[in-house]
Amino acid sequence: MTSFQSTIGDEEGIAEELAAGQREISIAEFFEKNKHMLGFDSGARGLVTAVKEAVDNALDATEEAAILPDIYVEIEEVGDYYRLVIEDNGPGITKAQLPKVFGKLLYGSRFHAREQSRGQQGIGISAAVLYSQLTSGQPAKITSRPKGQSRAQYFELIIDTDTNEPEIKDEKETAWDRPHGTRIELEMEANMRARTQLHDYIKHTAVVNPHARIELREPGLSEPLKFERATEELPAETSEIRPHPHGVELGALIKMLEATESYSVSGFLQEEFTRVGKKTAESVIDNFRDVHYGRELSFEPPAAHVDRDVEAAVEAAVANKGAEATAAFASGVAETIAGNARVTRSEVATIVHNAAEAVEADTGRTFGSTVRENAIEAAWAAVTGVDEEDEDDEDIEDGAPLVPQVYALIDEATSTRKDDETVQAMADAVARRLAGLDGDAFRVTHDDLERLVADAAAFVTEQHDVTFGETARGNVVEAFWSRARTVPDDPPKVRTIADDRDAAADLLAAMRVTDILAPPTDCLAPITAELVEAGLRKEYEADFYAAATRDAQVHGGDPFIVEAGIAYGGEIPAEGSVEVLRFANRVPLVYQRGACATTDVLKSIGWRNYGLDQPGGSGLPNGPAVISVHVASTNVPFTSESKDALANVPAIEDEIELAVREAARELKSYLNRRRSMQQRREKQDVLGRILPEMADKVSEVTGRPRPNIDGALARIMNNVSVEREVDGERVTLRVENYSSTTETIEITDIVSAEPVDPSAGSVVEMDGEWFLQWKPEVSAGDEAELTYTVSEDADFDVSVSGVETEKLTVNA
Amino acid sequence: MTDETQAREELIDLAAQFYDQFSAGQVPELQLPTRTKSNIEYDPESGVWKYGDRTSTRSANSVRGARKLLKAAYTIEFLADQLAEDRSSTLRELYYLSESWDNTEAQFGDQDESNDLVEDLEIVTGVTREDLHMRPEESGATLMGPLLLREQTRRGEREIHCQENVGEGGYQIPNNPDMIEFLDHDIDFALAVETGGMRDRLIENGFDEAYNCLVIHLKGQPARATRRITKRVHDELGVPVVVFADGDPWSYRIYGSVAYGSIKSAHLSEYLATPQAKFIGIQPADIVEYDLPADPLSDSDINALESELEDPRFQTDYWEEQIELQLEIGKKSEQQSLAARGLDFVTDTYLPERLEEMGVL
Repeated sequence: MTSFQSTIGDEEGIAEELAAGQREISIAEFFEKNKHMLGFDSGARGLVTAVKEAVDNALDATEEAAILPDIYVEIEEVGDYYRLVIEDNGPGITKAQLPKVFGKLLYGSRFHAREQSRGQQGIGISAAVLYSQLTSGQPAKITSRPKGQSRAQYFELIIDTDTNEPEIKDEKETAWDRPHGTRIELEMEANMRARTQLHDYIKHTAVVNPHARIELREPGLSEPLKFERATEELPAETSEIRPHPHGVELGALIKMLEATESYSVSGFLQEEFTRVGKKTAESVIDNFRDVHYGRELSFEPPAAHVDRDVEAAVEAAVANKGAEATAAFASGVAETIAGNARVTRSEVATIVHNAAEAVEADTGRTFGSTVRENAIEAAWAAVTGVDEEDEDDEDIEDGAPLVPQVYALIDEATSTRKDDETVQAMADAVARRLAGLDGDAFRVTHDDLERLVADAAAFVTEQHDVTFGETARGNVVEAFWSRARTVPDDPPKVRTIADDRDAAADLLAAMRVTDILAPPTDCLAPITAELVEAGLRKEYEADFYAAATRDAQVHGGDPFIVEAGIAYGGEIPAEGSVEVLRFANRVPLVYQRGACATTDVLKSIGWRNYGLDQPGGSGLPNGPAVISVHVASTNVPFTSESKDALANVPAIEDEIELAVREAARELKSYLNRRRSMQQRREKQDVLGRILPEMADKVSEVTGRPRPNIDGALARIMNNVSVEREVDGERVTLRVENYSSTTETIEITDIVSAEPVDPSAGSVVEMDGEWFLQWKPEVSAGDEAELTYTVSEDADFDVSVSGVETEKLTVNA
Repeated sequence: MTDETQAREELIDLAAQFYDQFSAGQVPELQLPTRTKSNIEYDPESGVWKYGDRTSTRSANSVRGARKLLKAAYTIEFLADQLAEDRSSTLRELYYLSESWDNTEAQFGDQDESNDLVEDLEIVTGVTREDLHMRPEESGATLMGPLLLREQTRRGEREIHCQENVGEGGYQIPNNPDMIEFLDHDIDFALAVETGGMRDRLIENGFDEAYNCLVIHLKGQPARATRRITKRVHDELGVPVVVFADGDPWSYRIYGSVAYGSIKSAHLSEYLATPQAKFIGIQPADIVEYDLPADPLSDSDINALESELEDPRFQTDYWEEQIELQLEIGKKSEQQSLAARGLDFVTDTYLPERLEEMGVL
């Protein structure tokens, strides 16, 4: 029978045939075929993406050079193509760097930096160049004038897709009126179907970069769209941080180990990572010892009634040291061991060395290393009961001497429901397996200990037809592990770990389990609540604005900050759902709204609580509102390379929710206030109409002249209102006096929990209820705020006196 | 001074009260007794349940209150004009008539609103609806029995004997029973019956003739006129009154409104209620004793029974015992369930036995 293998072998060799067609693929070629991954899937979208990449670069460059950005974007129809021009006033790019920045994919300064920036991979702008050359055949035309140089440099270049290297078509010095900056001109096959997205991108960029001035010209606009600067304040300068131990992966760690100049692990950790000092490095190394070497199990020193005697054993092991010194040494070792509740082999060794040193000092006798080794072995054998010689004795089962101690631990660790027979069988099985461990120190890692106990339990289960479940096994493992001690061995040197993948993995595991401070946040530049609001104010004519910035949090070693802003009312269209602005590192996200974590979070919030209409109680709310969410991080998790949508990372989602809710709470109290004002106005309208009509009718029926109703109207219209606002634990009673006279109002709030920190007033406790009393004097047209703090689940009961009831509106 | 003139004066006084409040720079308001279960009290003197001391205020301070008072002013004008012209109208007509008012704010949203307003005016003016010339729709309740009366109709006086001059349907109770004068009677007791089916059975079996009984058909929850004539039969002719209804919580309320007065018209209890009226059945005890076909109590039945246990009108030993028994057996029976023992059982056995027990026969 002919096998298929031999057939292949007989013929020319298909592997060789295949090999002939196999060759390296350049990154440029790869993206040439996968344009969509970078956001160039259609002509409409390609244009937006190219603008976005160029503008992001311009913003990054100006910010880095602490220049207030002045960005000019122009789109022009040129025959069948569109020409795209983007100019900035950035620091410019040197002649040497320029071709690579624009003509090589994956070339950039930011990929390796842990710092908040718009661009990260160094793909974006070169991808735009690639797209332009593919669709129009035209090179990219780039002019750059570095700061301080009198002339600008002009390049025409394309990317050689085979090599991913720039190919310079033309190069010359030229004059440019900008003192410094960069200008890129691209021609591409495109269309303006995504005009809305383009405008959104530019407008949202202006919202989130209130320090930038942006101008857009495109064929559909009769006048250029100009977005002026709202602040002269540059975003906070960010600093680069070293990686956080919780955020690295194995490959990266090995590379770092190979590259470091540190010699010791401790030095390496402190040198290469953020938030690692001597102490933290020590904890990481301890955890590394546990993972890498395992711990040593501890045993109780033999009790008086056991026929093993440490002192006698040590004495027997020492020869030729004279009776006195030997006795002193043996009793020193025995006493110290007996003074410990449990000891490990390493501890016994330390004890022996200490005793030897003490006796040497007293007697002048030398206790050499051989003697010490013998003594350690003898003392350890006396503690555990395991004797080397017994191991060859067929009558004594392996581990038998360990059984009593093992039994005691297992008995303690398992529930009382386990009968003695099971515990005994388990103790036998575990002791046998412990005896089988390498060496006599009973060193074992947590994983191995788990396996060992599970194996013993499986054996017991099978042999004795009893159950020894997961919980019981876990308890037994913990009983041994918690009594085991970290070994004193020095960790291997960095060089050794770098060469040993398993050791590196152990180090990584140790880093992950160690508690380490969250990374510092000076690598982030949040917009700040103030400027989020200013940005919204600049681009949206609204009645109300609110913004919130959360404190920094960490996910996977990267710090992040979430900010949210809300604009409401005014000229924002009231129809349909609210407008959502999504930002990541100050870049607007325009596409794939439905796939974005931000959208998911906004949909999950119950907006009715905050006074917005939400059909069905879920999904995006309706109404005249704009909600903006900004996530800043050293590594923003996107769902894809085109950076359109945030991935659903729970830690980030939680923060988005908290930030949005914080801003939404302000919106709610604004809407409540507005609603009560509106109700007051409506009431005044209706009563102002009805009461005169009623007066007319009454005068008709009674046949008397029309009564003067001004007094009655004044009483109703000019009233005093008391309203309650609760924000978390903070309670505010707002007293507003709409009347024409000063009013003294007595307010008593009965609260079911103890109020703290009340504004003036008095507090009296009666039968578990607290009576808060104020007597504010509020002049005409004025208002007073009475505040206190109380636990969130407290009940309130307010009563108001001192004002005629018809003049009083209590809503508290 | 005629009744009409006095009623008109009362209405205009109320309007004047609003006028004076306006003139004094006050917000017009109207104080009314709170019309809820918790604010009715037993009046030992008259033996009926009346409103207690708690009051509610309708004030023009709020939009709702102002609309109510505006409507009251328009209705006062309408009623005063109607009395001046000696005309009358039905409650439903008032509701439709409001549509013609020039002021849309004064128009009624539904008929309950206009009915309530007329009741409010009744209470504050102390003039009954009938004297304000407001009629309800004919309720269709009837009398059958040995009673001779004279009715003042718009087409002259009529003398009617409620057995001899009427058809099988009996004598229809007019809207204002105070227009009737009792001339002669041979009645031993009056039997107020809830359902038409049972009333027809009694007449067919000749119960009114055999026992000299005045059969009053309540037609469900009795209209004011029915309750008023029941009271007059009791007070003026001195005959005992018993109520015969289904054995369920809703029928106990029918008895309650005959005997104690209803919550909504407690201001007229003295005029409408017959506190001496007794409940003959169907009692929960009868369901057990006669082993009547029964339906299980629904949740709403149970709620109604429990709410009756809290109703001050039902807080007597008799009712507490019956209601608790019913909750215990969890059953209810209709009057017609007596037919399970034969068509004559009700007239030959059940009613005579019960009447004897109650000391009426």
